[in-house]
Amino acid sequence: MGERADVWQGTLALMVLKTLQALGPLHGYGIARRIEQTSGDLLAVNYGTLYPALLKLEQEGYISSEWGTSDNNRKAKYYKLTRAGRKQLEKEAREWEQTTEILARFLSPGKESA
Amino acid sequence: MRRLRALFIRLAGLFRKDPQERELAAEMESHLQMHFEDNLRSGMAPEEARRQALIKLGGVEQTKENYRDRRSLPVLETLLQDLRFAVRMLLKNPGFTVVAALTLAIGIGANTAIFSLVNGVLLRPLPYREPGRLTIVWGKDDLGKPGNVGYATYLDWRAQSKSFEELALYRSWAPVLQTSEPEQLSGMRVTNNFFRTLGVHLQLGRDFRPEEDVPASSQVAILSHNLWQRRFSSDPQIIGRAITLNATTYIVVGVLPVDFQSLISMDPHAGSVDLWGVLGYDASLPWACRTCQHLVAIGRLRPGVTFPQANAEMDTVSSALWKAYPKEYSAAGVILTPLREHLVGPVSTTLYILLGAVSFVLLIACANLANLLLARATHREREMAVRTALGAARVRIVRQLLVENCLLAAIGAAAGLLFAYWTPQLLRVLGAGELPRLREVTVDSRVLLFTLGVALLTGILSGLAPAVRLSKTNLHDSLKEGARGTSIGTGRGVRSLLVVSEIALSLTLLVGAGLLLRSLSQVLGVSAGFDANHVLTMRISVLGQQYNDNQKLRQFFTSALASIRALPGVQSAAVTSQIPLGGNMDRYGFHVEGKIHANPELDENAERFCISPGYLEAMRIRLLRGRDISESDTSTAQQALLIGETTARSMWPGEDPIGKRVKLGGLDRPWWTVVGVVGDVHHSGLDIAPTMQFYAPHAQWPFPDSDITFTIRTAGPPSALASAAQQAIHALDPTQPLSRVTPLDDYVGLSVQGRRFSSILLAAFAAIALLLSALGIYGVTAYSVAQRTREIGIRMALGAQEKEVFELLLRQSVVLVVFGVALGVATSAALTRFLASLLFDVRPTDPATFVSVVFLLVGVAALACWIPARRAMRVDPIVALRYE
Repeated sequence: MGERADVWQGTLALMVLKTLQALGPLHGYGIARRIEQTSGDLLAVNYGTLYPALLKLEQEGYISSEWGTSDNNRKAKYYKLTRAGRKQLEKEAREWEQTTEILARFLSPGKESA
Repeated sequence: MRRLRALFIRLAGLFRKDPQERELAAEMESHLQMHFEDNLRSGMAPEEARRQALIKLGGVEQTKENYRDRRSLPVLETLLQDLRFAVRMLLKNPGFTVVAALTLAIGIGANTAIFSLVNGVLLRPLPYREPGRLTIVWGKDDLGKPGNVGYATYLDWRAQSKSFEELALYRSWAPVLQTSEPEQLSGMRVTNNFFRTLGVHLQLGRDFRPEEDVPASSQVAILSHNLWQRRFSSDPQIIGRAITLNATTYIVVGVLPVDFQSLISMDPHAGSVDLWGVLGYDASLPWACRTCQHLVAIGRLRPGVTFPQANAEMDTVSSALWKAYPKEYSAAGVILTPLREHLVGPVSTTLYILLGAVSFVLLIACANLANLLLARATHREREMAVRTALGAARVRIVRQLLVENCLLAAIGAAAGLLFAYWTPQLLRVLGAGELPRLREVTVDSRVLLFTLGVALLTGILSGLAPAVRLSKTNLHDSLKEGARGTSIGTGRGVRSLLVVSEIALSLTLLVGAGLLLRSLSQVLGVSAGFDANHVLTMRISVLGQQYNDNQKLRQFFTSALASIRALPGVQSAAVTSQIPLGGNMDRYGFHVEGKIHANPELDENAERFCISPGYLEAMRIRLLRGRDISESDTSTAQQALLIGETTARSMWPGEDPIGKRVKLGGLDRPWWTVVGVVGDVHHSGLDIAPTMQFYAPHAQWPFPDSDITFTIRTAGPPSALASAAQQAIHALDPTQPLSRVTPLDDYVGLSVQGRRFSSILLAAFAAIALLLSALGIYGVTAYSVAQRTREIGIRMALGAQEKEVFELLLRQSVVLVVFGVALGVATSAALTRFLASLLFDVRPTDPATFVSVVFLLVGVAALACWIPARRAMRVDPIVALRYE
């Protein structure tokens, strides 16, 4: 447990959006589990940050929520990507890729194109 | 955009908390359950599955707290909480709230009112285009004082200077409008570029044209919006219409916009200017000469030209003119007075002093409130201790207290704004009618902002000391000490300091007010040189074809005086070209035989009064030597002159002036012979020493004045005779308009109005300050008495004398008063010199004023201590011991 890193602020939103795009409507627990699993259990989602982050995304209009029933007939709040959320995801993903690409060039100077 | 959307949702979140709270709880619960079930499925024992799920979820309350912070705006939410709590606290102590809010309402209200005055009169830009470039251009006389200009000089100025975009002239004009009911108007004759200089556009019609501004051209006029509305019922067809002014036909060419203000005028008593005509001069006219200095020049500087630059350039121009015409100027040089300074400069000192005084009042109000709050803080110590114990942060407590205060201040500010709204009316009642631009005194955004700022500052200033003190409350002691009241003496230092400064501030205000009031009474005590009681004055402008002949004009006045003298209740009556303190400045060169300078412009000049026989009697002006003028001084007799005392003293020191000869207004005029010396009258103001004066018989003056004032001495109240006197004139000629039918003492009143206004206001502020500090002293004494009730009881029970206990109780207050008075005297001594320009015959450090003010303050302070101390003495020792 101690080696697992907390999800960095800022990237959590991107992960949530990506998860909702990949899996469709999902509840908070599911989102958390999915993020942890995708990271190969390298990340731990702190629920104290997850729910406020979900609320923030909802307030900004990137996701919407409604109550539904889970696979085991349990009531749960389902979050779903909105159209604005989809656009935001594309934008943020692009930005993120750009950032990592730049960083990658810095960190592996051998590949630097002269 | 997205951020904004989120912000709105969060704002809305402030108001629907409960449903969201339930929803979150349900969501957390479902989360927990799902995790639990997953754990079960992966083969954990139920106990362990639940435990793991709970561990993973972490602190539910923390999560909820984070969630709440995100849900709405926590800063606002706590502020709302604080506000709600503050309202509850204030409602719980209505007595405290009323006293505190009232104190603040007075402090803030007075500040808002005076600020709105300062704002309207001084701060707002003048209502002309780029008013910062407008300036009055005066010629400099041999004493270095500013003076009017002659037309020929103006032409040279305009031709030779390059600093001005426009240079215009104006002079006063008192036309009579002769449509239906004749009416005396206040007007101005101006050069055709006057409105262009000001940058004013007309609402209807057009501006004057250069070709109209020449002698003997057809006469044209521009009306004020007010006159157009009042006399022509806003007739849209007015342009091109003919109106009759002074028996001459004028064509109306323009109407000014409603927001145009005629601030520029030559006669302060005449009211706003309603009518403008062109000057119509050219250099050939006899009254266009260089020495005919009856015009005022107003210029607009070119963009980028500074006042010193323009002044330097004009000085050069003027020096050249002086060299070219050495006998027509008394000195070289010009004086530029920015228009702003010309219009509001004279009142700015008064207004700034009032603003200073009123800020003192606010400081005292703040100190008082802080005192009240400190007293209350002691009672609230336990409350704060409990809240701290429950985890309230210190910042949170300070904020809570400041919010309470700002709420109080807001109540005060609301009351203050109401007060400011009525300020203009109130000022008129107080007699500020003489203040320029009073019409612009309104509650505008700047005043609102000022009030808001003052209120916030007040709330924070008066609340800071108590808040900081309360937040430092020692938890342990306060909780332990509990109901027994807290340690005596906490906060006493601060409270004493507050009372000392209150006393010092009010003493300073009292001294200021005392000095002004003494000046006022000195001014009122000045003998005007005439007796203003029981005199009715009435102005008439006689005009029309039938009076173009001097003889007929004189005949008209003779018959008018005869019929007025015949009225019952009239003791004597006369006419004069101007009345003392009437605001006119009619001066003539005074060339004494044998003492005429090589440059006659350097000769003295004197105020001219053209009078009928009986004037000295009607005005009760003393005849000191020689004889009065009489009916025998006719147009064919030797020209007889009366002179004032000052004239006699300065022109013929040590000589008898009777029989000496003088030329008036130019060396080409005939000789006048001095026949009598009369007492000086104050003409410019009771507080201004009389200058040289002379009186010439109306019958002998070469061009008899047609604009003349009747002075009628009556047996009873003068206003009772007003209608009879008017009827007597109208019986002779119903077409002649009478104006300013008013008792003579009104003129005297008007001349001291400004002084009275500032004295009354300052006195009112000082009274408020005194009252507030009395309350402050009372509060401190009462509080310390209340805290020591038990001690008093013990002392009395042990046999202490009443007197000793009394002394004990008063000792503290006496020390405070002594310190306050000492500090106040020092402050006053340092500050009263700023009043010097407003004082008359009283030194800024007038010992009598200082001593009486100190006595007054000490007396009031003694009373304020004595009442609570006295009450404590009446307490039964047994009751006092049981107290608490």
